[in-house]
Amino acid sequence: MRMQNTPLSAEPVSVITVVNFSELKISTNPSETLVAFSIGSGIAVSMYCAITRVGGLLNFVLPDSSKIGSERVSRFPYMFADTGIPAFLEALNDIDLKIEKLKVVIAGGAHILDQTSDFNIGLQNYRAITSILSRENLIIHHEDIGGSSKRTLGLDIGNGCSIIQTAGQGEVKV
Amino acid sequence: MTNIEDIISAIDTLKPIPPVATQIMVLAEDEDSSMSDISDLIAYDLSLTASLLKICNSAYFGLSRKVESVRDAITLLGLDQIVELILLNSTAENFKDEPDGYGLGEGELWHHAVLSAHVAKMLAENNGLADKKHFIFTAALLKDIGKLIMGRFVAFSYEKIHILVNSKGYSFNEAEKEVIGMNHEELGALVGEKWRFGKKLIYVIRNHHMSDEAARDDAGTALVYLADIICMMMGFGTGMDGLAYRFYSDVLDRMNLTEQDLQKVIYDTGERRQKIQNLLNLV
Repeated sequence: MRMQNTPLSAEPVSVITVVNFSELKISTNPSETLVAFSIGSGIAVSMYCAITRVGGLLNFVLPDSSKIGSERVSRFPYMFADTGIPAFLEALNDIDLKIEKLKVVIAGGAHILDQTSDFNIGLQNYRAITSILSRENLIIHHEDIGGSSKRTLGLDIGNGCSIIQTAGQGEVKV
Repeated sequence: MTNIEDIISAIDTLKPIPPVATQIMVLAEDEDSSMSDISDLIAYDLSLTASLLKICNSAYFGLSRKVESVRDAITLLGLDQIVELILLNSTAENFKDEPDGYGLGEGELWHHAVLSAHVAKMLAENNGLADKKHFIFTAALLKDIGKLIMGRFVAFSYEKIHILVNSKGYSFNEAEKEVIGMNHEELGALVGEKWRFGKKLIYVIRNHHMSDEAARDDAGTALVYLADIICMMMGFGTGMDGLAYRFYSDVLDRMNLTEQDLQKVIYDTGERRQKIQNLLNLV
């Protein structure tokens, strides 16, 4: 006998998975939403394949690992655009999906007010990611870049929707 | 404009930092003081001693034997670590409360405070100010203490502040001053005066966003400022104010820091973040 409050078919429980600073997460779970909170000058990039319903989120903070001059950088590939984005594409490639069909959304690259271009790491991060994606023939579907607000980027693996929240300015779904 | 007297009277809602914490900081930087002077001072405060021993005996430090006295703790973990633990333990209670108005999540301001204190200490060690590292650590830890009170006033006036920042080119602290009549730096300095902090510490808190140009010549203030903007760029503990504070490249020029150096500091901070996060869970 069925208990009175038990649903006939249980809805899958939605899960929010945090993608921290310098992390990459890939998911095939349609109930999962990947979220990078509190993005400053770093950039979070979501990539999603609508055919296979596979997606991932990378949260990097610096443009170029070769500028650091430390052997230890190899331990943190997702901290940098130049190592994180190729690793992201490689991980997606391993799942056997069509890279050229990916929906790419980027958010972040903020700067301190009056931050001159030499010191504007947000701008350098943006230049790095656009150059790498262009080399891979990938088009950015939507971007929310620059300014001085912190942002949050989420990716709903169930429907491929990316959610960008900007402090004080609300939410955009793409 | 808010009645300034109302803002100032709200300082009494904070829990004062025990005077022993600031006395320890002064002793730790005094070349003439000995380890026993410091351990005696700590041992006088039973509650502080109990907290310290509990933290030192936690799994985080993985010590092979039990720490049973303050002197033991200093011998096993080193004076630097003990001074830091005491400062963290003494400030945690206030900062762990979420300040309304800045749009920060639970514990985020505390996270920012601790991380920027570690970045400031790292900068002090790498830029010829190792002898001042405890002072710089403390100043970075306490620089945003004004936010704990200012938060409720920011929340009430947020729309006006938001317009000034987003449409009129104000920085967040300039907008606070314009709309509320005081910014969180000035309020933090008043907290410091009420709690009898040293003059240098009050100076850094009052100027940590470099509103006064003269502060850019002060090496301690410059390091705290730099640590703060690095944490903002990394998105650590930023709220509605985001990165809306002014950047002064001459501060970096005076310290001979290049853009590449700035990236290295961000990298080093990223590398240490997990360790600092684990420490945060202890206090």
